[in-house]
Amino acid sequence: MKKKLFGAVSAAALVFAGAAMAEYPEKEIQGIIQWGAGGSTDAVMRAVTPHAEEVLGGKVVMQNMTGGVGAIAAKFTMTQPADGYTLLMGAENPMLYKVMGLGDFDYNSAFEPVALLARGVPILVANPDAPYNTFAELVDYMAAHPEEVKFGSTGPGGLPSVVTAMLDAEVDVSATFVPYDGDGPALTALQGGAIDVMPAVLGAALEAIKAERIKVIALVDNTPNEALPGVAPITEDFPGYGKYLPWGPFFGVFVKAGTPEDVVAKLSTAYLEGAQATDFVELLENRAYLPINLSGQDAKDYMAKWQSVTSWLVQDAGIAKRSPEEFGIPRP
Amino acid sequence: MDFQSFFMTFLDLRLMALVGAGTAAGIYIGAIPGLSVTMAVSILISFTFSWEMYDALALMIGIYMGGVYGGSRTAILLNIPGAPSAIATALDGYPLAKKGQAGEAIGLSTTMSALGGLIGIAVLGFAAPAVSEFAIRFQPRDYMLLAILGILLVGSLSGESLIKGVFAGALGLTIGCVGLDPLTAQERFTFGHIELWGGISFVAVMIGLFGVSEALMQLQHINTPAVKQKISRVIPSWKSVVKFLPLSIQSSSIGVIIGALPGTGGDIAALMAYDHAKRVTKDPEVPFGKGARAGLVAPETANNAAVGGAFIPMLTLGIPGDSVTAIIIGAMFIHGLNPGPMLMIERPEMFWFILGALVLATGFMLFFGLTGIRLFVKVVELPRAMLFPLILLLSIIGAFAVNNSLTDVYWMLGFGVLGYFMKLYGYQLGPVILGVILSRLIDDNWRRAIISEREDLGRLFHGIFTSPLSLVLFMAVVMIFFTSTPLWPMLKKRLRRKADPAPKA
Amino acid sequence: MHDPSRRLPGERLFSVLMVAVSLFLFHTATKISGFSGLAEPGSFPMFATGMMVITSVIITLKTFRLPHSDAHGWKAVFPGFVIFTAILMGFYALALKPVGFLPTSFVFLTISTWVMSRGSLLHALAVSALSLVLVYVVFRIVFSVLMPEGVVPEREIIAYISSIFAAGE
Repeated sequence: MKKKLFGAVSAAALVFAGAAMAEYPEKEIQGIIQWGAGGSTDAVMRAVTPHAEEVLGGKVVMQNMTGGVGAIAAKFTMTQPADGYTLLMGAENPMLYKVMGLGDFDYNSAFEPVALLARGVPILVANPDAPYNTFAELVDYMAAHPEEVKFGSTGPGGLPSVVTAMLDAEVDVSATFVPYDGDGPALTALQGGAIDVMPAVLGAALEAIKAERIKVIALVDNTPNEALPGVAPITEDFPGYGKYLPWGPFFGVFVKAGTPEDVVAKLSTAYLEGAQATDFVELLENRAYLPINLSGQDAKDYMAKWQSVTSWLVQDAGIAKRSPEEFGIPRP
Repeated sequence: MDFQSFFMTFLDLRLMALVGAGTAAGIYIGAIPGLSVTMAVSILISFTFSWEMYDALALMIGIYMGGVYGGSRTAILLNIPGAPSAIATALDGYPLAKKGQAGEAIGLSTTMSALGGLIGIAVLGFAAPAVSEFAIRFQPRDYMLLAILGILLVGSLSGESLIKGVFAGALGLTIGCVGLDPLTAQERFTFGHIELWGGISFVAVMIGLFGVSEALMQLQHINTPAVKQKISRVIPSWKSVVKFLPLSIQSSSIGVIIGALPGTGGDIAALMAYDHAKRVTKDPEVPFGKGARAGLVAPETANNAAVGGAFIPMLTLGIPGDSVTAIIIGAMFIHGLNPGPMLMIERPEMFWFILGALVLATGFMLFFGLTGIRLFVKVVELPRAMLFPLILLLSIIGAFAVNNSLTDVYWMLGFGVLGYFMKLYGYQLGPVILGVILSRLIDDNWRRAIISEREDLGRLFHGIFTSPLSLVLFMAVVMIFFTSTPLWPMLKKRLRRKADPAPKA
Repeated sequence: MHDPSRRLPGERLFSVLMVAVSLFLFHTATKISGFSGLAEPGSFPMFATGMMVITSVIITLKTFRLPHSDAHGWKAVFPGFVIFTAILMGFYALALKPVGFLPTSFVFLTISTWVMSRGSLLHALAVSALSLVLVYVVFRIVFSVLMPEGVVPEREIIAYISSIFAAGE
């Protein structure tokens, strides 16, 4: 009886092994979204995936796995087989795990990029009643009133902390930093007057800017932005920032390192083609995200540069837990 | 007012069907302890991706409204709240079911939920801009005071022993601290485990404490047959609706305001409304906690009113009022809309469409709520040997499904057993969950408030006493603190003793 | 059902245990950031665990002064069913990942229904199978909750079934 059962099981295993030999994808693919439902990573991934599914001819079941600044989702993907049936849909955070002491891996060491889809543009926004309108005026104001300006911040390694570190590298930022647990709540607080200035992603602040509930102080980029007509990039007045820019949080789809090349290539084609769909392009435009559309070695280079700039910024600002030197991350 | 958009869901048969289906599904999703509205709506995002935007929104709104109400079903029938916002409902709803009056309790809670829902929608329709301006003016210190006000509810949730209630509340606050500190990413109570970075899932704690421990508790009496429920009178009499009208208007106001504040939702609103009912109801027909109808009406009106409240900052400013509206915002982005302050100006028809869909969903909720009672009550009369294994199974899946994590399942089981012992030894579990809900609200905002005053307590109090809103909240905290601790009766006795001898002399 | 004027079996032990847990957590809280300021990450945990220590000590002192309850023995407080179910759930949770959702849940449902109903095994099997199918359809198919697969290749089976339907079209 036992033997018979065993035989049946192994026959079934053979059938499925045979199925695996056939063309990828043979079964549902799991998409692990690193951040919560309704967030920007979530929105981007849920918008692009249906188009990628069409090209791929398969189904991707997406689920959110939050926690540990995205590390829990990343580590989960790393425990799954490298067969292309588990996708990590994440943001830039893993590229900082090493220096922030959150893990000894990053996208380039433990994953294979399927597609880098888009990046956000950092800006500095302020309450519309604030007595400064440009970054130069803010710098002067802070010099005259040390520690009086309330800067919104989020945890170390988050976008506001990196942008603040970047700003502080060239000018003296003397402010009181009020911590928030995300840019959403912090932007709300800015509108309510609980804080005065906030580094944010353009996309998250865009609607409030249009309604003149908050105003842009600086566009932290080296080129003007279509969504912000009339706002000059910060490099115009402060060319010193040029060496860090362009910089911004990015979104991408990844698989575990060691996934067969043809599977990665197929996924890359699907996602890059999916990213051309009109409504996805429109979504990025509405949210003021800039498309990247990189895969393979280009994507790896892009992320390596990003990691080098950011790791050293947080190291020099004194918020890194371990030095980038330990991991051989070169200074930009 | 844009009548055409408002009545869109009423006139289009397909939209109407979607709202109706959503509401019916929501009632069941809300009632099952393992399924939550937040989860359902987030899954609907990918499900409805290729749909028309109006269709998708109609379905989501139905599920939201139905789900908030549905949690009360299992709270009343099984003492297992299907959703956090129904925790307060169980306190007096379950005792009613034990007396065989489940049908009447559900009828009353359904009618009052609908009333609360409509009040919330009315405020959304007529005063949204004003309320949202008020809500975003809340400073960190105001949130802190509000959260302290919330934690003082321990006083009315403690049951027989205040000191055990305080212990339970403090335990909840501690549970809420576990994980990476959201403000500095410092590890707290993680003992070096990455699984604990994200904290202990609130849903796992709730399912453990209210689902598993209650099931274990009822297993003690596995052999006693289920209480036969009278379901002849389901629709409450006009008289009782009128009787509870003043209370339900008050608790709806609590619901709308708490719902409109970003970061607080129906769960806190319902508990606060329960406490409010306990304070203002002079002589309930039976004591609170033993099946007082006012204790059922208040939380049910408040949590449904919070739905309208949560849409206020979302539709006027693009700021989510709770976790469900946060996901609906995400869905609107995917459908090419830009929720934000400009939405009301650029696409005013969306506002009226959502308002109309909410009204319709409330109507469906009333209809399905009152007609489906018989079937639901039958569930409780099922053999317990069938019901309890299923509840336990649902608890495990529910805990797992929140984050797809087995760790959450272990936590859920751990809290199930802990909850069993706590109940056994006279600790109430309400304060634990209250502590977990409020922990971060107090901690984050206390620190924000004091950091923005450069760690100067004097400046903090100066801020409190110079802002009218802060001052009112502060006075409320002081007043409730005195009336809910033994200090107040002691003081009253002292005063009376002093006053009494006077006439004799 | 709990009588505050009487002490139940195990109540003393539980209250002492709570004191121990509170002290341990308080000790952990003091280590988060020390006593360095009002707005440190450790300040609020210290407050919360401090409250736990104070209240649990008071509760313990009160509990020790209570007279023993005559009405309840150990049996009434911990009936066999409760212990059995708790242990069964523990095993279920442990086996969930390696063995997979479907087989574990089926065994769990069958055993618990069978023991609780004291009826026939066949009846329990039928009831469990029905409940499991219902739960599976709602959670896995409708809500796409991916439960641990374990030894059952669910995704392949679903792909196979849908390919049959696809071929039939």
